[in-house]
Amino acid sequence: MSQLDILLIILRVAFGAFVPLSSVALLVWMERRGAAFFQDRAGPNRCNIMGFRAGGLIQNLADGIKLAFKEDIIPGHITHKFYFILAPVLVFMTALISFAVIPFADTLVLGGNDYVMQAIPLDIGILWFLAVVGFGVYGIILAGWSSHNKYGILGGLRAAAQVISYEIPMGLALVSLLVVYGTVNLNEIARFQGQLLFGCIPMWGFLLQPLGVVIFIVSAFAETNRTPFDLAEGESEIVAGFHVEYSAMKFALFFMGEYVAMFVSSALIITLYFGGYQIPWFTTETLISHAKPVALVLILLIPVGMYFITGWIKKNNLSHYIRLNDPRAREAKVYIWGFWIFTLVIEAILLALLLFSSGGNTTHIFVALLQIATFLLKTYAMCFVYVWVRWTLPRFRYDQLQRLGWQTLLPLALLNIFITSAVVVALS
Amino acid sequence: MSAKVKIIERKGVSYNEKLFLVEVFKGMRVTLGHFMRNFLDNSKLYVRHYPEVQPEISPRWRGRHRLTTHEDGTVKCVACFMCATNCPSHCIMIEAGERLDGKSEKMPIRFDIDLLECIYCGYCVEACPMDAIRMDTGIYSSTSSDRQSMLKGIDELLTTPGAFTEEDYKKGGV
Repeated sequence: MSQLDILLIILRVAFGAFVPLSSVALLVWMERRGAAFFQDRAGPNRCNIMGFRAGGLIQNLADGIKLAFKEDIIPGHITHKFYFILAPVLVFMTALISFAVIPFADTLVLGGNDYVMQAIPLDIGILWFLAVVGFGVYGIILAGWSSHNKYGILGGLRAAAQVISYEIPMGLALVSLLVVYGTVNLNEIARFQGQLLFGCIPMWGFLLQPLGVVIFIVSAFAETNRTPFDLAEGESEIVAGFHVEYSAMKFALFFMGEYVAMFVSSALIITLYFGGYQIPWFTTETLISHAKPVALVLILLIPVGMYFITGWIKKNNLSHYIRLNDPRAREAKVYIWGFWIFTLVIEAILLALLLFSSGGNTTHIFVALLQIATFLLKTYAMCFVYVWVRWTLPRFRYDQLQRLGWQTLLPLALLNIFITSAVVVALS
Repeated sequence: MSAKVKIIERKGVSYNEKLFLVEVFKGMRVTLGHFMRNFLDNSKLYVRHYPEVQPEISPRWRGRHRLTTHEDGTVKCVACFMCATNCPSHCIMIEAGERLDGKSEKMPIRFDIDLLECIYCGYCVEACPMDAIRMDTGIYSSTSSDRQSMLKGIDELLTTPGAFTEEDYKKGGV
């Protein structure tokens, strides 16, 4: 194994572990500010370090410190302490390792070697995901049961019933998808979507499987226990459901696990149905052979984008009441400077690429970075959909949830398999 | 007499509504409209930036209590116990003493209001025959880190100023 091999293994595992983890902070922020804006309020915007609020991101830091220093209570009535402690760990770990098989860029070719851009370069892809995510619900059930609390038990029961009902339509939606793609390897699935349909439209999964994408997204919402299917939590009915007895960092693990799961399932939806890391109309080969024109376009586009972003910061990072020497205006100035310096650095790198690169490894790395950026952008857009749905739809009633799962989604998923198979057979 | 029957249209039975998806997208369009409006210009939020921007209090608002005085600065209260008798939460404690300034026979030597007990119903103000107690200070936020300081004595009640002019108070209040 060369040094490059080891370096790339470390880089890929680090990406697989730390990107979902750091996304937690970003997603909590997105959730809270998003919720506020959906409801015409401001959300957390006071917490600051020396006057710098980073749009409310500092609030997460304060919350994290609070949770870390809180007393970690294990109530006296709990007899199965091991399971009680195991439960949040299980929820969090399964959410985290299910990200390991998702490709965040096309296979990187460096010096003649292929590097699959996944934290764990497995071929079984989607099967790994199903296995690990299905395991994650054990954490919720264990938490509910070992809490020895009626609300906890009810939450755990609901989670169990819900997951059983929704794994089936999810799995069936995947079956028809796999019929189309003919592979379970997520990287090959993503590469398949780089083709063009009728020579002009990107062949993304949601165009090939319009019914499947609806079924899959609905089931994915139920899998991650997000509104409108967060019956396991149901704070208005069963207090907080499965995590009612948890405090401090054990609660934080559940909380982070929820957001990691949301990030991972967004990433999976993106990979399966929205082209993964593919930039529409630009396959990896096109990007590699046209790296210089792409770099030139980026050099021209990035300052324009930055101009609008800084304008938005200047307009919105203000105190909306009369205030002498508004510190927020000063804060905005610092941010705008930061953004322009960041732009300059990127421009310099792109310019260097444009002037001095002669193809080969540099181009490959450039394309991989572009695809990682695309992947993250798409994933966060999907996460925004999660937040958007949460603050729009009320929670389903329990019987409505089961009826939707068994009487609507299951027959639709079966019908979808039938139609898909018929079309695939007819075309081949 | 026939009862008035109002027929309420039942929601959720039409095909589109049973399908969920159409209605879900309609709802999501509404919320996204709110989001984009606030995201693009957050001066349009429907909120008051509270500690910096205070709400406007009407003269009818029942805020913290105060004791009023005659023009010469002597207390109007005659310790008749009307307010304490009327008080549903028993938060007013009065001790009467002899009055030497010639205004009447009695005056309070102790007049305590326990703000932790008070429910701000305003019965004391209505009961008072002398217009001696009012709730027109406009103070709507009473906070403290200990119980003792929430017990307001006669000195504090007398020195707390009213927030409105006599004219406004008469117009808005009684």
